[in-house]
Amino acid sequence: MLPIDAAAHSSRWRRRHPVDKAVLGLGLTVLAISLPPWPGAALVLVAALVTLLGPAGVAPRKLWRAYRVPLGFCVTGALPLLFQLGGPEGFLTLAEGGPERAGGLLLRTSAASLGVLLFAFTTPLSDLLPRLVRAGVPAPVVDVALVTYRMSFLLLDSMSRIRQAQAARLGHTTRAAAWRSLAGLGATAFVRAFDRAARLQTGLAGRGYDGTLRVLVPDVPVSRRFVAASGTFLAALAALTLVLERLLP
Amino acid sequence: MHIAEGFLPPAHAIAWSVASAPFIVQGVRSLSREVREHPESTLLLGASGAFTFVLSALKIPSVTGSCSHPTGTGLGAILFRPPVMAVLGTITLLFQALLLAHGGLTTLGANAFSMAIVGPWAGYAVYRLLKRYDVPLMVSVFFAAFVADLSTYCVTSVQLALAFPDPSSGFLGALGKFGSIFAFTQVPLAVSEGLLTVLVMRLLVQSSKGELTRLGVLVKKTATGARGKTETEAKA
Repeated sequence: MLPIDAAAHSSRWRRRHPVDKAVLGLGLTVLAISLPPWPGAALVLVAALVTLLGPAGVAPRKLWRAYRVPLGFCVTGALPLLFQLGGPEGFLTLAEGGPERAGGLLLRTSAASLGVLLFAFTTPLSDLLPRLVRAGVPAPVVDVALVTYRMSFLLLDSMSRIRQAQAARLGHTTRAAAWRSLAGLGATAFVRAFDRAARLQTGLAGRGYDGTLRVLVPDVPVSRRFVAASGTFLAALAALTLVLERLLP
Repeated sequence: MHIAEGFLPPAHAIAWSVASAPFIVQGVRSLSREVREHPESTLLLGASGAFTFVLSALKIPSVTGSCSHPTGTGLGAILFRPPVMAVLGTITLLFQALLLAHGGLTTLGANAFSMAIVGPWAGYAVYRLLKRYDVPLMVSVFFAAFVADLSTYCVTSVQLALAFPDPSSGFLGALGKFGSIFAFTQVPLAVSEGLLTVLVMRLLVQSSKGELTRLGVLVKKTATGARGKTETEAKA
């Protein structure tokens, strides 16, 4: 199981309805990209971080491991904004206002990523996917997504074991061997995926499979109190941003 | 490279989602029809989605000594066709956003447009074109994967340049900036992905003829020779 999903399964908010957590987490993301980066996104970043480490109970180490990936992309993506091409001063020069634009973008992406991470760290996909049918996603697409989700972990586990076996047989010692091993890994993933699908089909056919994959979804109601509190929290953040925007330089 | 969460301004994020919508709706219709007619296809399509997800998690060596991962769009388009790839690619991008923190939900439309729509369609177009001129299967596969990978990054450059035009030279300057950064890293990666896809396809032709025939990549052809044996050949 992947670290974020594993953490979501043991999250303090695991038993909450996904809508509760979507309003808060994805609401923070929407605020991060809608409000001015300073002070709006900065406030959202702090609010998301406090919520993740506080009420949601996400371990700081796990959060950092997941967060450093989008953070790296954000930094790399913001760097080109520091420079400009052409102009009277030369072909490649520092852009006027570049640091502000890059800083603003970094704040916005960092805050927005934390909002999504708040949702991801508290909501296992197995809780979310079956409920997408009620949100209007066609049932066949949800079924395919469910099979994809469940089969992905099995395949990733198989790939990990095959990679270990390849390494034990000196399959990664030279560049040519590494390429051969990698190609073998890709081809084996394909063969395993289709083999599992065939065996799953046989097993389901024996249980009267009619094309619908029924899974048990925990019967948890949407908490109006939680949703209202999240809405108030988001509104307060937006209001505070508008006030601070006038007061701060 | 996925565009990170929150990287695009809201108007751009919405515009790219709207641009992706018709292709994804077409893919959803095609997938729903397939599942309605053949219920067992759910499992095969799910397996294909899992394969695409796992493929994107493979690390391929790049010329700079670092590693990157293949987009898998070229191979996916050849195996499963672009309309289905639009749906499978979008599901994969959603999983990557929520399970790996790669990409994002607000940028899902933009990422789907480059990786699940333009990449597969461009790669598949090249594949079909080369097959029409009887180019050998593996050469076609290489160029399909190469073009799918490169076109994905070209579209990403356009998306970023539109969102962040250069202060002095505008959209074209920004396109040059983002394009040159991607060209430095992605042309070698596109070559790497092309080579890897050829190696994977060679192994698949040896080990999974049945599946490739079922997917329409290979066609079964009965030879009229003295022995009258059945052989499988690359689809012309």
